[in-house]
Amino acid sequence: MFTVENIQVSYSGIRALRGVSIEVADGETVALIGPNGAGKSSLLNTVSGLVRPTAGSVRFQGRDLTGSAPWTVTQAGILQVPEGRHVFSEMSVLENLLIGETAMHGRTPTHGLDDIFALFPILAERREQLAGSLSGGQQQMLAIARGLMGAPRLLLLDEPSLGLAPVIIAQVFSALAELKKQGLTILLVEQNAHLALSASDRTYVIEQGVLVKSGRSADLQNDPDITASYLGQG
Amino acid sequence: MSQLIAGYLPLFDLYLLHLGLAFSQYIVLRAGVFSLASAALAGIGAYTAGIFAVKLGAHPLLGLTAGTLTGMLAALFLSIPLARLRGVYQAIATVAFIQIVVSLNIYSEGLTGGAMGLNGIPKSVGTGSLLIAAAAVTYLVWAIERNRLGRAFNAIRQDEAVAASLGISITWHQSLAFAISGALAGLFGGLQAYHSYALDPNQFGFHLLITILSYVILGGRNSVLGPLIGTAILIILPELARPLAANRMVIYGAMLIVVINYLPKGIADTVIQQVRDRRLRLSGGAS
Repeated sequence: MFTVENIQVSYSGIRALRGVSIEVADGETVALIGPNGAGKSSLLNTVSGLVRPTAGSVRFQGRDLTGSAPWTVTQAGILQVPEGRHVFSEMSVLENLLIGETAMHGRTPTHGLDDIFALFPILAERREQLAGSLSGGQQQMLAIARGLMGAPRLLLLDEPSLGLAPVIIAQVFSALAELKKQGLTILLVEQNAHLALSASDRTYVIEQGVLVKSGRSADLQNDPDITASYLGQG
Repeated sequence: MSQLIAGYLPLFDLYLLHLGLAFSQYIVLRAGVFSLASAALAGIGAYTAGIFAVKLGAHPLLGLTAGTLTGMLAALFLSIPLARLRGVYQAIATVAFIQIVVSLNIYSEGLTGGAMGLNGIPKSVGTGSLLIAAAAVTYLVWAIERNRLGRAFNAIRQDEAVAASLGISITWHQSLAFAISGALAGLFGGLQAYHSYALDPNQFGFHLLITILSYVILGGRNSVLGPLIGTAILIILPELARPLAANRMVIYGAMLIVVINYLPKGIADTVIQQVRDRRLRLSGGAS
């Protein structure tokens, strides 16, 4: 069980998160949606230890991780796939994957190279190529795969659809569906609400640093407020 | 024939000595630290080794160990404030460090001989010892490059935030790179002390910084071949152009401008990348 309780974050006085609480059960895929600047990435970065909260707590499987260093967070098994991919462009695809193992900290591997290449066959084809020469979609797949190499117990995904063509987005999300089927716990941050709702079990909606709605994704898909604000209907 | 070789031995010795310093510079750059402190760290190692020999009459091996350790400790000490700085600010801070070491050196006359330098160091290091040290260091850097530590250094250099998110401790790895860099500089500073009878404080100043940095920039910053090639070119070149010896720094400068503009990755890295691209094209892996 992963819980964030009443978390607050400020950047030099400007409050990005004003007391947000979320929960992710083991094996669950939970989405976090909201407009630009709502605090979605701030929440993920706080969990990963890149940003320190001013109040609130982060707990994972009985461990208190509030304000921990990134290194400690990865040790607990929480791995973030950063927004905008951030693959190591001067390294080959294979080297990018191997460096993902650093985050394993002695846990049993959950995804070997064979599993990764089965999930993303294109990466097997391009394994010797420099990561910088991959297309945006391939880089996103590589970033996710690099996270999987670290045997995550909770995978944090920041905007995996950002800047990708619809056909590539479909490939990335079908891989996520496969990972979900395998029982991986996922916290997904997305601006594309339609995608997020259809890929997740439950969804939280945040706006301007506060939680405005939460519930089962299937229910929210028919919620009039959500369809009006986020799904472009009504 | 043997006379011809003997004539070039001092040049070869200089190559081996500077190769160690080039690797000291290389290893910090590799870990994403823009430190230019190697010249000062080499000075600290050289003077420690020199003082051990002249004032204490210590065995060369003991002096070299002391030089290596003080170089490493000074580097670790320096890494504490530098961990709070990034990029060009690290470079500025380390240039200041070099000036501080040179000044301290000149003022502590009783210990270091001050501006007169430290003289009368018994010569105990020849080409053989230098060759062993240089080979060992080349192997060490090559081994680091091939294992997990090298990958961690690469990750930190390319994207610190992502490296952290992958569970790589930035502070630990950069301190380690500093410690290795300091130990290498200290060792080769010590070797220089035992090789050249005398030390002069200005020998380890700004001029040496530029020289060492040029080796790495010219050769390449991402493979063990970079410093090997860069140092060789910049040591041999002034000899070939001996009639222009007075303009040595002008030639250095001109070469650097050409390399930075046309081969920004350095000679070795550019060649390695071309070979790799060709191999990929031939195997049909690239699109």
